[in-house]
Formats: sequence, structure tokens, C-alpha cells
Amino acid sequence: MGRVLLVGRLAARDLRRRPVEAALLLIAITAAAATLTLGLVLHGMTNDPYQRTRQATAGPDVVASAGPNPGIGQADLAGLRALTDAPGVVDHSGPYPVVGGELETDGMTGSRRTPRGEVVGGAAGVWAVGRDPAAASVDRPELIHGGWVRDGGVVVEAGFADALGVGVGDRITLRTRLCEIRTSDGRDCRVVTGRSFRVVGVAVTAAARPYPDVCFAPFCPWFAEAMENAQPQGPPPDGNERFLEDPVEPGLVWLTGPDVRGLVPAAEYLSYVVNLKLADPTDARGFVTANQASTIGPPILESWQEIRDEHDKMVQDQQRVLRTGGWLLGLLAVAGVAVLVGGRMADQTRRVGLIKAIGGTPSLVAAVLLAEFVVVALLSAAAGLAAGWLAAPLLTDPGAGLLGSTGAPSLTLSTVGMVTAVALGVAAAATVVPALRAARTSTVHALADAPRPPRRTPRLIAISARLPVPLLLGMRVAARRPRRVVLSTVSIAITVSGIVAALAARATIHQDAQLVGGTDPSIEPANKVLLVITVTLAALAAVNAIVVTWVNALDNRHSSALARALGATPRQISIGLSAAQVLPTLCGAVLGIPAGLTLFAALSGDETAKPPLWQLLAVVPATVLVVAALTTIPARLGASRPAAETLQAEFA
Amino acid sequence: MQQEVVLAMLAKEPSHGYQLRARLRDALGPLGDAMNAGQIYVTLTRLEKAGLVVSEPSTTGADRPDRKTYALTAAGQQRVAEWLAEVGWPKPDLAEFHLKLVAAAAAGLADPLTIVDAQRRELLRRLRDAQRAAMAEPGRSDAALLLEGIVLRLQADLRWLEACEQNWTGRGSES
Amino acid sequence: MNTMADTALLRARGVRKEYGKGEGLVRAVDGVDLEVDPGETVAVMGPSGCGKSTLLHLLGGLDRPSGGEISLAGRRIDQMGEKALARMRRTAVGFVFQAFHLMEELTAVENVELPALLAGRSPRAARRRAADLLDRVGLADRARFLPSALSGGQRQRAAIARALSNEPLVVLADEPTGNLDSAATAEVLRLFDSLHEGGQTLVIVTHDERIAATADRLISMRDGAFVDETRLTGGTRGQLGALVGLEG
Repeated sequence: MGRVLLVGRLAARDLRRRPVEAALLLIAITAAAATLTLGLVLHGMTNDPYQRTRQATAGPDVVASAGPNPGIGQADLAGLRALTDAPGVVDHSGPYPVVGGELETDGMTGSRRTPRGEVVGGAAGVWAVGRDPAAASVDRPELIHGGWVRDGGVVVEAGFADALGVGVGDRITLRTRLCEIRTSDGRDCRVVTGRSFRVVGVAVTAAARPYPDVCFAPFCPWFAEAMENAQPQGPPPDGNERFLEDPVEPGLVWLTGPDVRGLVPAAEYLSYVVNLKLADPTDARGFVTANQASTIGPPILESWQEIRDEHDKMVQDQQRVLRTGGWLLGLLAVAGVAVLVGGRMADQTRRVGLIKAIGGTPSLVAAVLLAEFVVVALLSAAAGLAAGWLAAPLLTDPGAGLLGSTGAPSLTLSTVGMVTAVALGVAAAATVVPALRAARTSTVHALADAPRPPRRTPRLIAISARLPVPLLLGMRVAARRPRRVVLSTVSIAITVSGIVAALAARATIHQDAQLVGGTDPSIEPANKVLLVITVTLAALAAVNAIVVTWVNALDNRHSSALARALGATPRQISIGLSAAQVLPTLCGAVLGIPAGLTLFAALSGDETAKPPLWQLLAVVPATVLVVAALTTIPARLGASRPAAETLQAEFA
Repeated sequence: MQQEVVLAMLAKEPSHGYQLRARLRDALGPLGDAMNAGQIYVTLTRLEKAGLVVSEPSTTGADRPDRKTYALTAAGQQRVAEWLAEVGWPKPDLAEFHLKLVAAAAAGLADPLTIVDAQRRELLRRLRDAQRAAMAEPGRSDAALLLEGIVLRLQADLRWLEACEQNWTGRGSES
Repeated sequence: MNTMADTALLRARGVRKEYGKGEGLVRAVDGVDLEVDPGETVAVMGPSGCGKSTLLHLLGGLDRPSGGEISLAGRRIDQMGEKALARMRRTAVGFVFQAFHLMEELTAVENVELPALLAGRSPRAARRRAADLLDRVGLADRARFLPSALSGGQRQRAAIARALSNEPLVVLADEPTGNLDSAATAEVLRLFDSLHEGGQTLVIVTHDERIAATADRLISMRDGAFVDETRLTGGTRGQLGALVGLEG
């Protein structure tokens, strides 16, 4: 009991003796723990919302749609009906009429701004499905706001509503255009209907691909390949064929059946959809393969797995960014902890000697060290879990089109366990080295306060003699601890490569957006994740810079005090300490740029855009400036300690 | 001047009196300055009478004592050997000063601390002189070693004075 | 009094330095008056903890007094800003410490040239000066040695050379022989003596009587205050003989 008390007391005293270091250690491990928490929480997050949505909405296992084809004929309604009786089908809803057209909100007067800030002209593409006001047995879209369809009232799919910025009560106009092929290569389209609807509800569904990839026959781009390969049946198109213009980047809305029919000049222009429930949902792909015709006329089938994959794609970029960011953050945290632990080591060695001198065994020494780090680790794990848990919703917006976007993700026991284990692992690793040293080094040696002797780098010392005083001091500070300089460089290089990768990602998204035309809703979350990761990286790098400067200030307090006794001003010392950080920062930043570009290229694989040169060039001075500014405070704290006190403390 | 010192100086080889003096001066350095020139001859004469030393008149000079060559007799050799084996050591006479303080305090004649201060000043002056003399000597001379001894003894005395001071300061505050 | 004040290089008036508050108040230096003339060597002696090191730090502008005035070469330093103090230390004061405080990773000559570099001298001039100084303290052949390869006395001599780097008005030494054995002490004493001969003003705090005895003036300090002052004028060599029992 007394022993436990002693260990506790020694550990607590030591932590209190160096509160700033303890706090910085706490921050570094917390950052690592938070990142890990985020990573674990986000893992498997993608499946979850779709599954939840599928369950809540009685999502279909297979969606089949059929539509009229120009030059071929009307929608194959009989084929759809036949599917509902196909073997393996246990339930179905539909066929429902579907029409493709365009949607305009009140705000869309000629041009509008996409979420990414681009101005595009015209309206948004839309598919309108005609549903019964009564709930169906398969695919019951879950209302997030408002109520279900009624005559004159439209329900907008949530992801689409989000992108358009419409909500319950807003008015939208739906239009269809009828096109006529006049010659083999020309066509003429005109608006045939335009009706105004009031938004009565916003709902999610598991029965459609996410906006802007909603599709129904005959306009499923993913089916285009199948169509290419298919041999058209019936007479080839021969002029004056009429068809409804296909919607561009469409979203999904629901109307009543009559309202949908009211949007087309004649029933022959309607498409139809049925939602099928299978006896064996896992074999939905098999069902699709068995029943998919390779011709244009018959219905197009899609399994729920395919739809799910499309939803997953929405967060794929996000995940990739997160995974990469998580790694970078983890590396940064390790670099920070390594510097801190290394900095404490010298101090610890002497303490260890003291404890041994008064009769402590090596195991007691180890217990004290372990107790200290365990306390820090547990606090860090708790803080990291909390931070990760709170930050996760910022990153895990599953796409507005699915359920589960509200509320924080759940912390499973395994997540908590894993994070705590890692934090403790870091703590243990930090304890092992001093503990081993404690066992190895002789008490006398340890008491003699022989921390790692500073390195001597003759060339740097000679070069620094030619520099102005602050740089002279800074270079020598850096030269004393080359390993720390390497860690600083690595830390900055990691951060800068992260930032550069983020810039490259932005540039690529930007480029893609321009190619595609710019309303891809997956851009915004990906951007948000990029931003959060970049900010976190920068924050952790800042902590690292402060940590290194602080450790340097402590490590150099003796030589700093001496330099002051010899006539250096506190300002020169603090600039020197900052400079010791700025030099590796410069190297790190320069290294980070190619590393970041390589990293991004490796991750994205396909064609990537390079961020503008000015951005890349600006990264270096910006990083250096930020680090210089950040290190000012610890450097000044370190430099302003009374020199006399430090010089005298050696004998106290 | 101790007789044995002069005897021992002759042990190397028969010497003139002035040679002995030079040898002593080398060993003593600046301390040798205090040595009376005649003193060594007085000592030699005494030693001769005691049969420890024999003298031969110098071939070149008149019958002057500094022109004589002195040599050890067998008894003289014997005496030198005995002297080298002796372990006698000068006794530091601290009792006198100590009693001075006690008496001064008891009788109220003077403040012991004043006495200590005065004494310290004197010892410091001596230390300074010894030190200066030592520093004037070339590094590893015999004389430097002797001076080092003086310095160290004075240092010891000064430390004792410090102890005296602390002790008497304590008593002062008690009364 | 005024005439003395005019000639004094270093002057302290009623200097106090206190640490802590209330019950825990420690008066490290408690109303000290001191005048040091150019070329004078003053030793301050006292038991450890009497405040002599603190006094030395105050005199060198390494620490600021709680009260009183300190002036060096006619300029008040007790109210100078940190920057001005640093400049003053750079040009006017040389420090010598008990623990030498040489930078372990710098060679002797690099250590000695450091103050000159800090003062903005050209690297070449600083190096030349450092080499001269090392020669003066008898370490010319040790210039490229790291402190760890030097003996205690050599280290302190290098530290003294460093203190002289910018030709200071006054050298302040804090227990310069505290970590040295007798022979090394003699080396340092000899060096201080030659500095003294050369007209260097020196203030040494010590509890080593040997070094104190080399001073022109010896001040005893106790509990933060001066208690005794002795002017050590040269005695006669003749007395030395008495010390070893050479007379008669």
C-alpha cells in the first residue's frame, strides 16, 4: 500500500513539476487518439446508412424500369408485369409511371449557383415517379420532412432537395420537352408541359441511385453499354420520331400518378418502374442476370447491391481522403510524441538516478514512469475519443439521400478499447526506453546528469559563425540535436504533403466539376473532409512545432542562459530558438511539395490536375511564416527565464 | 637553523659553506632570504665541535670559514640517518589563541570577534604574501612546493578562525 | 566621498534583492554598498548562501535588484531594459563561473570567440582574438580541444579567456576555483594575478581563502550584508620565514 502511495506521489509530483510538457504530451497523444477514433468510427460507415435506409423504407431488391425508345416503341409494360410473376419474386410495387424532364425552382431564373459556387444556366434534370398516396409494400420512401404525395404536391428526394436548396412549402415547376428528330443528325425540342407544384415533403429512398445519377429506362447511362451491344428490334429510326428529352444529371421527385401523366402529352411517352422483393435478396444480382434482356425494349433491371454501390461511391472520395489523412495525422502524432518523450528522457534519466540513489529498485522506477504515462495516456484516450466522436459527424454526412445523417455515430466498445490500447501503447513505449535505461545505467552515471551529450557538427558551427547572431544561435541549437531536426523536418514534410495533396485534390475536383458541368453533390462532402483533415493536420503540425520549440527551449536553457550572460539579448535567443525550427521547416516544406503531389497521384491513380503553381510556391513561405509565428511564444518563454537563476540552479 | 638540516645537506658530498648556502637557497626560494648568512657557519662550527663534521682548509684560500670544505664524519652520517627516520612534526599552537578568546570573553576585556577579525586580517596578509611568493616561483621548483605548504597551512588556520567566529557569534547571540 | 564616487568603476548603493513573499521572504542581498575602482581586485567572501553569488549577478546585470542603485562606468544598470543590459554585458562585463559553463559541443577556441561573435565582430577578427587570448592563458596548443578533453584548470582558463573576449571593464568571477583541485587553483590564481597586474578590474566572490588573499580588498559577507572589509596591503617577505620555522 505504501509502495503504491509512493509511486502515485512520485508520478504526480513529476507531472506537476513539468506541467507544460505534460500538457503537450497530452495534446499529442490526444490528437493521435482522436484521429484513430475518427478512422474507426468512419470505417464501415458507408454501408450503414444505406442499409438503414433500405430497412426503413422497405427497399426493393430489384428495381426494373421500362421506357419508350425513339424509333422502337413504347415502354414494355407487359414485360414489367411479367417480372412481378417471375420465379423468386415474393412481393412488388408498381408499375408506376415515370417521366423525365426538368425542374425549376423559384430561384432559378436563367442561371443558378451550384453548391460549389459555380454558375450554371438552366434547370435541373429530374425524374418524376407517379406514386399512390397510399403506402406501398415495397419502397416506402421515408419522409424526413412534410408529408407524402398528393395531387399538386411533390415530394423531393432528400439528396436532390439538399442540392437544390428546396424545402417543404417551396414551389417548383416541372417541365417536359418533346423532341423530334427531323433529320438523321438534327433534333428539335420544345416545352410541351410546365406545371407548378408545391413541395409537400422531403424523403429518402433505397430504390434509386443517388442524385445526380438517378435513372430510369430508357435513359440509364450505365445501361448505354448494354444498349450499344444490343441489336435494335423492330424498324430502325426513320425520321420524325418523337421522344421526351432525356434529363441531364437528374434527381428524383415523387408525384401522384395522375400528376405524372399530366406532364406528358400522351401516355406513350411514359416510362414505368416496378420494385421487386425477392425471396432471396442476396441473390438479387443473379435475378438481374437471369432476367436482364440484352435488348433495348425490355425492362432494365438493377439490383439493390448495385444501387448501394452507387451510394457508396458518394463517400468513396471522402473515405480515401480520411484514410490518407488519418495516416498522415498518425505519423505527425508519433513524431510529436517522439520529440516530447526524447526531450523528457534526459530529465528522466537523472530522476531515475535519484530514485535509485535513495533505494528505489529499477522496478519501482519503471512503475513511477509507467504510472505517469498511464495517467497521461488514459486522459488522452478519453479526450481523443470525445474529440473524434464529436468531429465524426462533420465528416460522416452520409449524403443527404440516406438515413442516418443526423446524430453522432455510435462509439462501439471495440473502438473505445482500440483507442485506449493505442494510447497506452504509446505510453508504454515511452516508458520502456527510460525504464530500460534506468535498469542499465549506473546510479552514479545517472546522477551525474549525463543526458545525451549534444552533438558536435564542426561544419555547421563554422558556417554559423558567419551568420547574424540570432541565426548563429539558431543553427547551433539545431546542430546540437540533429535527430530532433530530422523529426521536425519530417513533421513539416508530412503536413505540407498533406496540404499539397489537398490542394491537388481540390484542383482535380475543380477540373472534374468543370468537365461534368458542376452539380455533383459528392463534391461538397469531399471538400468538407479535405478541409477538416487539412485543418487537423495543420493544427497537429502546429502542436508539433510548439512541442519541438519548447523541448529545444528546455534543452537549451543552459546554453541560452550562458549566451545571455555573454551578452546575447533575449530577443536574439528567442529568434534563435525560432530559427532552429524554421530551418527544418524550410526543408520540410520543400520536401513536402513533391511528396504531396506523389501521394495524391498514387491515391487517385487516374488523371489528376496539378494545383496552380502559385499555390504550391505560396505553401513554402506560408508554412515558414506560420511556424516562425507559432514558435515565438515558447521561444520567448524559454528565452525570458532569468539567466542567473538557470546558471545557479546547477548547484542548487 | 636546525643542525640536522645542515648535516643532511652535506650528505651528498663535502662542500664549502657557500655551496651549502646556495643549496639551501635553492630549496627555500624566497624564504631563504630570511636566512642569516652567518648562521650557517655558526651551525657548522657547532657541528664540528660535536664531531659530526670535519673541515679541511681550502687549498686556495686563507683560513676563512667560507673557504673551508666541510664533510660528514661517521657519527655525522649516523645522525643524518636517524634524522631521516624521525617522524617529529611541528605542533600547531592553537591553544594559545583559543585561550586568548576565552579569556577575553570571560573578562569582558575585548570582543572575541574583534580578535578573530584582526587575526584573520593578519593571516590573510601572510597568505597573500605566501601566495605572491609562490606565484613568483617557476612552476615546479622545490621552493614552490614549500610555499604551497605554507599556503595550505594558512588556509587551514583561516578555516579554523572561521569556525571560531561562528562559534563566538553564536555565543554572542545567546547571552 | 564624491571623489571616490567619481573614480569608481562599479558602484552599488543600498542594493537589495529579495525572493518570495511574506513568511517565505528571503533577503539574498540586504543593503549592500560597494565601490570598485578601476584596476582593483575585490574579493567577496562568505559562507555559501550568504548572497554573494546573487550580488555578483546583480553587479553584472544578469539579475535585477529589488532596490538600490548599481552603476557601471557611470551608467545606471539597475533600471536598464533587457536589451540594453545584454549589450552592456557584451561589452563591459566578463563572467567566470564555478562550473565553467563552457559549451560542450564547441572547442576551446569556439567557446572563447563566442562573445565576440555575439558582439558582432567579424568571424575572422573573433577567431584571431580568441587565439590570442588562449595563448595568453597558456592554452594555445589546446585551442581545438573540446572542453571534455581539457582538465578542470584548463577549462576554467578557457572560460576566463572567454570572459576577456570583448575586453570587459570588469571581470566578475563566481567561485572560480570552487570546482578545482589545488594545482588547478594555482593555475587560475596565477592567471588572475597576471590580469590584476595588467590593470584588469576584478570582482571575485569565493569562499576560497587563497583566491581571496590575492585581492586588494577583501569583503566579508554574511546574511546578505557586508560585515567586514580588509585592505590587504603587502607584508614583508621576512615574515614568511617565521612561518616555516626558519629563523634562528
